[in-house]
Amino acid sequence: MAQAAGNRRERRRKTWSSLGDLGRKPTEYEVVTHGMNHTAGETPLEMGPDVHGNVWLKKYRDDIALKVDNWDEFRDPDQLTYGKYVRLQDEQEAYVDNLLEEYTERRPSDETLSSAALACLGSCLTPGRYLVHGQQMMAAYIQQIAASSYVANGASFQAADQLRRVQRIAYRTKQLDLAHPTHGFGSNERGIWESDPLWQPMREATERLLVTFAWDEALIATNLVVKPICDDIFLRQFARVARSLDAGLDALIADNLYRDTERHQRFATAACRHAIAADRANRDVIWGHVEAWQEAGEAIVVAGAKLVAQHADGMVAGEVEAELRSAWQQLQRDAGLTHDA
Amino acid sequence: MALLNRDDWYDIARDVDWSFSYVDRDEAFPEAWVGANGIPPEAWEDWEEPFRVSYRDYVKVQREKETGVGAIRDAMIRADLYAHLDPGHRASSHLHMGTTCMVEQMAVTMQSRFCRFAPSPKWRSLGVFGMLDEIRHAQLDLRFSHDLLKDEPRFDWCQKAFHTNEWGVIAVRNFFDDVMLNAGCIEAALATSLTVEHGFTNMQFVALASDAMEAGDINFSNLLSSIQTDEARHAQVGFPTLDVVIKHDPARAQRIIDVAFWRAFRLFQTLTGTAMDYYTPVEKRKMSFKEFMLEWIVKHHERILRDYGLKLPWYWDKFLLALDHGHHALHIGTWFWRPTLFWKPNGGISPAERRWLNEKYPSWDDSWGVLWDQIIENIRAGRMDKTLPETLPALCNLTQLPLGSAIDRHHLGKQQVEYEGRVYHFDSDVSRWVFELDPARYAGHMNVVDRFIAGQIQPMNLEGGLNWMGLTPDVMGDDAYDYRWARDEAEQPLQAAE
Repeated sequence: MAQAAGNRRERRRKTWSSLGDLGRKPTEYEVVTHGMNHTAGETPLEMGPDVHGNVWLKKYRDDIALKVDNWDEFRDPDQLTYGKYVRLQDEQEAYVDNLLEEYTERRPSDETLSSAALACLGSCLTPGRYLVHGQQMMAAYIQQIAASSYVANGASFQAADQLRRVQRIAYRTKQLDLAHPTHGFGSNERGIWESDPLWQPMREATERLLVTFAWDEALIATNLVVKPICDDIFLRQFARVARSLDAGLDALIADNLYRDTERHQRFATAACRHAIAADRANRDVIWGHVEAWQEAGEAIVVAGAKLVAQHADGMVAGEVEAELRSAWQQLQRDAGLTHDA
Repeated sequence: MALLNRDDWYDIARDVDWSFSYVDRDEAFPEAWVGANGIPPEAWEDWEEPFRVSYRDYVKVQREKETGVGAIRDAMIRADLYAHLDPGHRASSHLHMGTTCMVEQMAVTMQSRFCRFAPSPKWRSLGVFGMLDEIRHAQLDLRFSHDLLKDEPRFDWCQKAFHTNEWGVIAVRNFFDDVMLNAGCIEAALATSLTVEHGFTNMQFVALASDAMEAGDINFSNLLSSIQTDEARHAQVGFPTLDVVIKHDPARAQRIIDVAFWRAFRLFQTLTGTAMDYYTPVEKRKMSFKEFMLEWIVKHHERILRDYGLKLPWYWDKFLLALDHGHHALHIGTWFWRPTLFWKPNGGISPAERRWLNEKYPSWDDSWGVLWDQIIENIRAGRMDKTLPETLPALCNLTQLPLGSAIDRHHLGKQQVEYEGRVYHFDSDVSRWVFELDPARYAGHMNVVDRFIAGQIQPMNLEGGLNWMGLTPDVMGDDAYDYRWARDEAEQPLQAAE
């Protein structure tokens, strides 16, 4: 045993052999995230090359235009681990619980909402659960064919955030229905999502995303075009309108949910910058996908601006459009898509 | 206005399906990923969550669990417990971490597949919690193993194993790549969630946690128990899926479950049978592997089949025969080919252990003892070369396990199929039956021996094979007790303990 102990000392390992020589102690995030995709080989799954799963991964993950050899060197700027994620989101959810308590029990507000406010909530907030469920499906897809666990885990947390938002929307939908049972809260939303002309660009883009299977296009169209514009409309701009209509609770919840969006944007822009740093040709690939979705994004900007601005006195759709475009362009710059980046 | 309970708003949150009009819905939910196989879309409206959980409650409860596991981890690191653990128990933990951690991460992707492609929006939403749970399990395993790297390089295989070609890992990878990552949602739910997770691993984690506690490995035990509380919840998604499939295509349900049960059982024999009946110190064994299987796995499986109006698999007699022998075959095989392992198996054939084996398996001496006698004789004669392999074992083209490893020497028989000009070999007629159900699915794969014969492993000898499998001297398997159980009976601590 003494000899065995001696041998143990000689070959004492500090971290995973696959991390190589980092020249520093790996972070907790790296320890639990590194190299956890075993499907990176020539034949992704341990099956014949022609089975469905292998054909799908080859076509939509390996044979795409975006070429990055070192996704395992990518790091999530927020360095989320499971433990950190549930801690972070428990705090955010406790905050929302407090808001609900404050606005429901200490100074009830739903009963005093104006008809303008109710119209705004029924048109801009409650139908959102369909859109956000679409975003949840897209984040899950980005997870499942990501080339590295560093990317996949981030996408998983994004998908979970989207479920958080669906459930908070559902919660508010029910509260509004109880306070205003004749307004169709909880029953009108599907019709609005499927038929309201101002929601159609969002629905069309969501459905088109759901048939976009190439991983690079799915990631970029979701996280650099459709989702950031929609989140800007239905969280940030919506909060402004809600505040102006004294729907303070929904404004505050939207503000809080937008923190998730900001994290998703840090993650997606970092992923794009990583891809561009790995190979400058990737900048054109990413641009190509943004351009392919430009028209869809523009249609969402125009419709979304109208959708929120119609509910607020003094809010001009053109100005909202300008803000949306400006934020969208900033996001593209953050992703490394300008020539001087 | 009052605050709401979960059930007040839950129905709204899961009502998130809509009628597509800009693209074809079938294109957005491709049959290969859904796997409905003709079950109409409206049938999935009957899919009901087997449990309800809100995101808000999930993060709260899971945060508390993480805090609990973390506190024990910190205490155990300070206690430096690992150095005092029994070598047989250590082998079980190396084997567990190397073969399980990546499967947990693969399960993240399977759950994520549910979140994207499941035919019911309720299932797509519930999948999110399964996906998060599985990230947790992989990360708990990784953190646990990383903490112990300073004591034991074999824990590197927690992260590394699935990036190698180690043959046992290939067997595990082949099965789970198939039923988790290649299968559509419906098959994955029946094969993985219902049969493997709910049927096997859920109970295995309870047993393993108890064994670990018995061995004094409080940290490992606590980790397994904490994982099991998540697993017991999310593995239930198999049941509502089975409810729907039974109504529309019971024959398919029977087939998927029968295939998964056999394949899961064969891996279970390899990974759990050997650990329970050989690695665990004999005085700590509470049940034999067979007793555990009959009490916890078989009864449970029979009950599910009965409750859903399904039949016992046609191969039940063969299964019961394999239950007597398969893990003994796999134990002698893995021990003999120990340089191809990344853990140190315990031969474990001291007189006391032998008595225990014969008590639990009355034909053990006749089936297996005679083979071990020869090994013991060679060890005592100093002929260690005769206790070690010179080449690789022939492997099954379905399970990837050695031919002959499902039964004992009295029941050996050739099981072959020729398909599109190639001959395939099987460890049993059950494995051959599985292959013949869907040959295109399995035929394109080459097992380790196929690759060896095709010249993909160079040089073409055991050394070349070990190198190809990624086995380095610091982890390569050898006997856990340095052959003390064989060399001299007087030295055997187990006998002395009697």
